[in-house]
Amino acid sequence: MSASDVSSMPDSSQASTFEVRNLKKHFAGLKAVDGVSFSVRTGEILGLIGPNGSGKTTLVNVVTGLLPATEGSILLDGEDLTRRPAHDRARKGLARTFQTVRLFGQMTVLENVEAAVVSTGHRRRHAASQAMEVLADLGLADQAHRLAREIPFGHQRKLEIARALAMRPKFVFLDEPAAGLNEQESDELDDLLRRIPGQYSVGLVVIEHDMRLMMNLCPRLHVLNYGKTIAEGTPDEVRSNHEVVTAYLGSRA
Amino acid sequence: MSSKKSIREALLDHSTLLVLMGAVTIVGVVVQLVGTPLLKNIYTSFCISLMMVLGLQMFMGNSGILSWTHIGFVGVGAYVSGILSMQPMMKQLGVPNMYPFLVSLHAPIGVAILAGGLVAALLAALISYPLMRLSDAAGVITLFATLIVFHVVMTQWDNVTNGPRTFFGLQEYTTLWVALIAALATMVLAWFFRDSALGLRIRASRDDRYAARAVGIDVVRVRYLTFVLSALVMGLAGGIWAHFITSFSPKAFYIAEMFTLISMLVIGGAGSITGAVTGAVVVTIVREALRQVEAAINNAHVLPFEVFGLTELVLAVFMVAVLIWRPVGVIGAQEARLVRLKATSGGGRPAEADKEV
Ligand SMILES: Nc1ncnc2c1ncn2[C@@H]1O[C@H](COP(=O)(O)OP(=O)(O)OP(=O)(O)O)[C@@H](O)[C@H]1O
Ligand SMILES: [Mg+2]
Repeated sequence: MSASDVSSMPDSSQASTFEVRNLKKHFAGLKAVDGVSFSVRTGEILGLIGPNGSGKTTLVNVVTGLLPATEGSILLDGEDLTRRPAHDRARKGLARTFQTVRLFGQMTVLENVEAAVVSTGHRRRHAASQAMEVLADLGLADQAHRLAREIPFGHQRKLEIARALAMRPKFVFLDEPAAGLNEQESDELDDLLRRIPGQYSVGLVVIEHDMRLMMNLCPRLHVLNYGKTIAEGTPDEVRSNHEVVTAYLGSRA
Repeated sequence: MSSKKSIREALLDHSTLLVLMGAVTIVGVVVQLVGTPLLKNIYTSFCISLMMVLGLQMFMGNSGILSWTHIGFVGVGAYVSGILSMQPMMKQLGVPNMYPFLVSLHAPIGVAILAGGLVAALLAALISYPLMRLSDAAGVITLFATLIVFHVVMTQWDNVTNGPRTFFGLQEYTTLWVALIAALATMVLAWFFRDSALGLRIRASRDDRYAARAVGIDVVRVRYLTFVLSALVMGLAGGIWAHFITSFSPKAFYIAEMFTLISMLVIGGAGSITGAVTGAVVVTIVREALRQVEAAINNAHVLPFEVFGLTELVLAVFMVAVLIWRPVGVIGAQEARLVRLKATSGGGRPAEADKEV
């Protein structure tokens, strides 16, 4: 176990596809997500952007099962997960981080990751070494025995990512991973996100307001406004899209 | 890094447990050698309380759900083990209305105590699944209501429990050694449970339900399994207690007793074994001291009225004080560590404790 390096971690190296079709989430009258479709494959990075309140977080909550979908379907390699409970989707390979960091605060950094390892069907016996590998890879090994709530905020953000990766997921949804980070931490994150898809054979869906970071990081962007897709394509295509420009100027200028 | 731990490392990892066990054992040996009968009694009942607190800690401390029900499982263990261990003759005498098939049942004491634990666990398995869906206030209220149901059944089921009257005639089987060994075994169980696959998952669900689900934890299921396991411990403790006290009635398994257990856990710190043990020690000492004070005041006739309930009052105030000044308990959620593992210092911005998902 100890000899295996991080790059050989995923069980199956064949590519997977994650897809949502016509996904809707309505809160009473409010259409937070209103008919969104996209797909992403392992190894890819998809950027999800949009003004505040456009439905990005809600989309992730629905996809990962923390909120039930109003309509539409969520498919992983063709398997319909729309009605599956959240923990089931996690075990099938959908991992996430939260916009406001959600760690297991009273547990150590190592235990946070171990909990994710054992929850996705791996043996307790191997959990510590598997967890340490990911922690070491993300530069958190020296924090392993500290309480999660006591480490610096930048490390907490990274720990959330480590915890997600330790699940050996197929797709990871990152909800504003750079929020609250300083410039140096943000650059480190950029490097990390670039290597994750190849190294861990996962697809990333990244939500971020930092446009400089997003335009460089994501080959493909998906833009939401009022729960609807208003554009998708390469950063250049999106940047020159008229509706996108209006949406951002209209609500954030 | 190696995945096989050296013996030295293992000892370090579990040094807190070893020290706690050693301390409890040494006190026991001293009490047995030089203690008065009263002191031996106090120590024995401390060990039994310790077993109950640890059983409660396994669920409450790790799941974060306040359970008032647990003392009910102690009652189940007490009655079941008593019914099994007593001679049929004694049962006819003590519980005149007992069902004939129960009168004829008979088992050695050890088997009877085990059966008491198993029946408690089985009962927990049958009733608790729907309860485990509830969190926070709803969870506390339903678990409290469940205790009331237990109590009503115990006081009304004449043919089994002798109703509200005393159930008596058990053999005194639980010596200081039996209680000590039971307490030590429970310490080991609770300690390793905390760090088991289930223990990690239930603690994760305590710290953040949403994040727990997002990493693949079936929160209801891990709560359920933990609840059943801790009911098993409570049931076993009930049997051991019953064969120490030898006669009891349903009020031994109700709010006042549960309050004492909860106060032990809350004062010491529900999140750790160290906390549970500390709380049991502190509350036992305070309780015994107050009993003496109460008796002394009443015997001296210095007050124009009987003093009673001093213990509960002081414990309640003590608990409120702890909750205000140190909500995690005296020890806190972490196990006390004798050997500090690489603790790199350095503060930082704390994560916002935002409730929004
Ligand atoms: N649980 C909920 N109940 C009711 N309305 C909600 C709920 N969650 C989100 N909303 C609403 O849905 C809309 C979309 O919110 P969401 O948080 O998904 O936006 P977002 O794109 O993530 O925004 P931000 O960039 O600010 O994080 C908002 O109008 C929000 O107020
Ligand atoms: Mg959001």
